[in-house]
Amino acid sequence: MIGKRKRDTAVVSRATTSDDEDTTQTTAKSSQDIFRKFFEAQFQPLDVPGGQVSRSGDSEDESDEEDLEASDAESDWDGMSGDEEEPEEVQVIEHRDVKSQDLMDKKARKAFMTAKPPSSISERTTTKTPKKDTGDDNDDNEIDADHLKNDLALQRLLKESHLLDSASDLAPTGKNRIKALDLRMQELGSKESLYKQMMPSSHRRGIKAKAEMKENKRRKEARENGIILEKPAPKSNTSSDKRRERGVGGPSIGKFAGGTLNLSKHDVAAIQASGRSSSRGRGGGRGRGRGRGRGRGRR
Amino acid sequence: MASTSQPPIRLTSHKNFVYRLVFSTLTGRTVHISQIRPSSPTNPGLAPHEISFLRLLDAVTNGSQMEISYTGTIVVYKPGLITGSATGTGASGGVIRHEIPAGCTRGVSYFLIPLCLLAPFSKSPIKVTFTGPGVITSATPTGDMSVDSVRTAILPLFNQFGIFNNIELRILKRSNPGPNGRGGGGEVQFVFGHQLRLPKTLHLMNPGRIKRVRGVAYAVGVSASNNARMIETARGILNPLVPDTYVFSDVSSAPFVPAPEKSNPSGKKKIGLGFGLSLVAESSTGCLFSADVASPPSGGEAPEDIGKRCAYQLLETVSKGGCVAPAAVPVMLGLMTMGSEDVGRIQVGREVMADESTIQLARDLAKFGAPGWGLRDASGENENGDVIISVVGRGIGNVGRKVA
Repeated sequence: MIGKRKRDTAVVSRATTSDDEDTTQTTAKSSQDIFRKFFEAQFQPLDVPGGQVSRSGDSEDESDEEDLEASDAESDWDGMSGDEEEPEEVQVIEHRDVKSQDLMDKKARKAFMTAKPPSSISERTTTKTPKKDTGDDNDDNEIDADHLKNDLALQRLLKESHLLDSASDLAPTGKNRIKALDLRMQELGSKESLYKQMMPSSHRRGIKAKAEMKENKRRKEARENGIILEKPAPKSNTSSDKRRERGVGGPSIGKFAGGTLNLSKHDVAAIQASGRSSSRGRGGGRGRGRGRGRGRGRR
Repeated sequence: MASTSQPPIRLTSHKNFVYRLVFSTLTGRTVHISQIRPSSPTNPGLAPHEISFLRLLDAVTNGSQMEISYTGTIVVYKPGLITGSATGTGASGGVIRHEIPAGCTRGVSYFLIPLCLLAPFSKSPIKVTFTGPGVITSATPTGDMSVDSVRTAILPLFNQFGIFNNIELRILKRSNPGPNGRGGGGEVQFVFGHQLRLPKTLHLMNPGRIKRVRGVAYAVGVSASNNARMIETARGILNPLVPDTYVFSDVSSAPFVPAPEKSNPSGKKKIGLGFGLSLVAESSTGCLFSADVASPPSGGEAPEDIGKRCAYQLLETVSKGGCVAPAAVPVMLGLMTMGSEDVGRIQVGREVMADESTIQLARDLAKFGAPGWGLRDASGENENGDVIISVVGRGIGNVGRKVA
């Protein structure tokens, strides 16, 4: 593009200069000089040991003359020309770079290059509404988020305060961190504690009893000292309350072991009770294999 | 829907074939088209793309019958109900798969635009996937616009008729025309989920001024620099006229389609290489003008030339004036004709009105029983000599929705 521009201007300069100046001077000059002059016209004067070093200090007339000569010389050599205005000429590029533009509106691209037909209305709303929001709602949102964060921190502090030996740090480390994590997870509904592992039931019972005792002691002491503690976690009595899963095809009543069906007193009583009030006893239990549990619960 | 008492409408020649079939389907009149390329020594009768369109019509309608003569120069089409992509009528999972044969020289827009015209009057949503070795998504030398232009310049027009919900045109795979302009390998998914009884009556008489230009430059299997070069040239021309000009670039690899040979039955080949540019100008009143140029299948054209030609083509389309680009005339006037029994008005450029295809459309519509258009010069400052067309709707609308 630059090259083309120059070629255009060169045509004009050729016509004017060849009339005014005699061209005999330039023919004597070496081609190297011409190149040097062209370079100087484009950039800076070169420091060459020789005749034209003092060029920068020359008067304007002289430099003009030289420029003319240069352009003259290049008139045979199509494509480069250095007429007077050339170095000072400001190039105006009309359109921006495609790449920068592409980077600029990735959003617009996303909006445009979808499967949906682009609609001018929707485009306008998508560009405008977020700006409005940033003005008003963002502050509120930030404050709200802050409040929520503080709230959560306070709750956690209250719940886990017993873990913190030194009440200074809110983010527990090491063992305490694990404990705190465990507490949080259990609160959020995790089935098993992080600390639960396979061990004899007697051990577990011991551990549980000890933990309970410790907790009770802590609460008692706190009460005595007038410290308000967190509420005790609701006891998960799921294990005791839940009906046991039984295999398919097992007896609906009694216990089948060693090829015999053993009926306990309860079972017998349940059977007799259901026999007496058959309409009640059978309603739900039949066909579900849960007759025994139901019967027991109903008594 | 088919009216047995009425005699078939007799038409001749292959011109305006698709729109004749579409209007036949919409009005429910049987059509008899004869003299389809009777004098062609090599390829008399229906061309592959026309057969393919008949198949597509068969897929989206229920109960339509078509008879083609031995030579293929005569077609009798008895339309059925437009059912769309209801399961059980050729659609699997609610999507019709339409395969286009390898010899097809037309772009997918050849099928898409008529389908768009049918879709609002369908009973259920229309979902069609165009696949096969003949799908060309780019503009073609045969004069079809690119799929991008369909999406950005044709589909938004339905908004003016109150049809805007759930319309999608997804380009899954791009393809330019293959060697000799035949075949492609693209894949396009079309969803038209807004069906209605009657489209709104349209009064569009203010062309407005062009406020923005958008576009898509696509390169398939060739360097992305082609896109940049096309965009740069096009922007160089358009930016001084419309500062709000953005052209987006989309580069994809060439489709890889099976090309079995005797020696290599499982052979595959790359097809549909090339690049192209689609530009859409939008006026302040929502009128759309589009231009499409793609590299020729034989190659040998620089991206700069494509960009320049496309930009000039856009300027030419805009200069024709009016509220409708020539490419959108059948859609707009077709929808107006299918509207309620009310007079709709639309301003078009004098050149657009005088266009051969527009006049052909008017004649065909008259044959199908539509009342004639009323023409008058546009009022106000009308330096282009625009014409206002008054169209009386037929009030048929969606037969499938009439009962339901």
